[in-house]
Amino acid sequence: VTDVTSESPTTVPAASSFRRRRVREALTGYAFVLPAVALFGVMGVYTVGYGFALSLARWNGFTPNWTWVGFSNYLDLLYRDPILAPETRSDGIRTLVVVLVVPALTVLGGFPLAVALNRIRFLRSMFRTVFFLPYVTAGIAVFYAWTYVLQPTGSLNYLLRHLGLGSLAQPQGFLGNPTTALPTLIVVMVWGAIPVAMILYLTGLQAIDSSVIDAARTDGASGFRIMTAVMWPLLRPITAAVILLNMREALQGFQIFLIMTNGGPGGHTEVLGLEAYNLAFFNGLKPTLGLSSALGWMLFVVALLLAGVNLRVLRSRV
Amino acid sequence: MTASILSGTRTEPGERAARVAHAHGSSGRVARVVTYLLLTVYAVISLYPFALMVSGALKDDKEILLDGHLIPHNPTLSTLNRTWNELDFLRYFGNSLVVTGATTLGVLVVYSLAGYAFGVLRFPGRRPLYGLFLSLLFVPGITVLLPIVILQQKLGILGTQLGIILPFINGTAPLSILLLSNSFRSVPTELRESARCDGAGELRTFFSIYLPTCRPALVTIALLTAIPTWNEYVLTRVSLNDTSTFTLPIALQNLNSTVSPQENVLMAASLIIVLPVIILFVLLQRYFVNGLQGAVKG
Repeated sequence: VTDVTSESPTTVPAASSFRRRRVREALTGYAFVLPAVALFGVMGVYTVGYGFALSLARWNGFTPNWTWVGFSNYLDLLYRDPILAPETRSDGIRTLVVVLVVPALTVLGGFPLAVALNRIRFLRSMFRTVFFLPYVTAGIAVFYAWTYVLQPTGSLNYLLRHLGLGSLAQPQGFLGNPTTALPTLIVVMVWGAIPVAMILYLTGLQAIDSSVIDAARTDGASGFRIMTAVMWPLLRPITAAVILLNMREALQGFQIFLIMTNGGPGGHTEVLGLEAYNLAFFNGLKPTLGLSSALGWMLFVVALLLAGVNLRVLRSRV
Repeated sequence: MTASILSGTRTEPGERAARVAHAHGSSGRVARVVTYLLLTVYAVISLYPFALMVSGALKDDKEILLDGHLIPHNPTLSTLNRTWNELDFLRYFGNSLVVTGATTLGVLVVYSLAGYAFGVLRFPGRRPLYGLFLSLLFVPGITVLLPIVILQQKLGILGTQLGIILPFINGTAPLSILLLSNSFRSVPTELRESARCDGAGELRTFFSIYLPTCRPALVTIALLTAIPTWNEYVLTRVSLNDTSTFTLPIALQNLNSTVSPQENVLMAASLIIVLPVIILFVLLQRYFVNGLQGAVKG
């Protein structure tokens, strides 16, 4: 607001004409943001406010009036309701597993792949394109393809049997067996998350000063040592970003669970996001819409806390 | 890589440097083989479900029931043909094009204007408003899913394509505003000053200088909008209920739940969904990768 000099190259204009320009610029600014603000007011602010109000009420979506219940939806989910609370707890544990394991495996896979890609020149862009396909196609089509691969008569069982690893094959299918269903979904999630992690690490690697690597090499460090002792610490901010992105996604995303198992078999892949979705859309006439909303907001708070912790860790190490 | 190591160390005098260079000559080759091996193995893993998608789509009704072999014995295009014509995927493809096209166009218009205002113009309340838009990034989709459906109902657009296009546009607001305002801000202000001296108004400056200069950012935003919109499933599923309005992902899900699901038909339909995205990505991936990096840096 203070830099007047850069705003007016001429020295002549009177203060009034300058102020007129200021007012015009401000009015233009408002006109330019108007469509975005209007849309945001209706689709953003209204829905967020409505969602929060709903979390304080009991409603089935059909009766004309809400019953206000204060924070009891939150308390019911957390400990009070004898049916809901245990369900939330077991779904919460599964969600926690996903939130911890998916980011960890994504880093473990994405980092070495990026280092490998960064070492080569020949075929690099081809590899990068291939590695990126899971990300751009993410959605129901790819999840169906995985379901097809993982079913009892699917390709994975076929491959395992033909490679002499028949003992690892799953006659019920990898998603049909309660013990393998969740780990299998986690692997598919990691498969979908590695592309972005890899691209981010690759960007970071290209920004590392090559003299640092050369110095380490002259000192006789092996490629593996360079990767773990030089590159890894330098790329910590990227690791933090990758973990944050994937934690948020793992906490709130439920699409893959909805499409591939819908919580089955026997609730063994039921997670909090899916629980919230089912409470909102598949509970018939039961007044569970407020519960769904409350669960969503609790996920929001956890996501904010995670983001805060992650930022602190990131700041303290840079 | 090996060449650069050798040339880097060769310039250094002394026995030690020479020994290092020699050691890397042989172990470097091994490392290269290991590197390419690792990359190839992951490329296979990356492509695995796509390979089976193509394989399944090319199998006939009998062969699909056998087992998960990759190469079809009698590859046929009849399943794809049936899916496209008899199962109406031509229409769903059109619907997806309409929804994706309208959303992308809407995003480009609404947020290039807003991005210009936030990045270039000065007006009271600019910063808090900007912060408000970005805060939307943290709200989980599930908390607004139901309110959006209720809002659609109140506005009388539940079940219409407009009903999903509007929230889709708004959903991209944080990222679009972030990327576009950064991009507009990086345009040298001299260009703006000289346009003003030539008597150009704000709109002229915006259209004839800022939009052309920031074309790469606009392409990036178009891609980052179009691809997730093309694939979107959850909101579409709870919003649309008339088959004539279905987009491809919902049509695929519908195929799975109503007809007794034939895996070859499901894979053919899946292929119809992913193929356009893959082609678009391969052609424009430069913009896509830049955008992702910019989004995380910003």
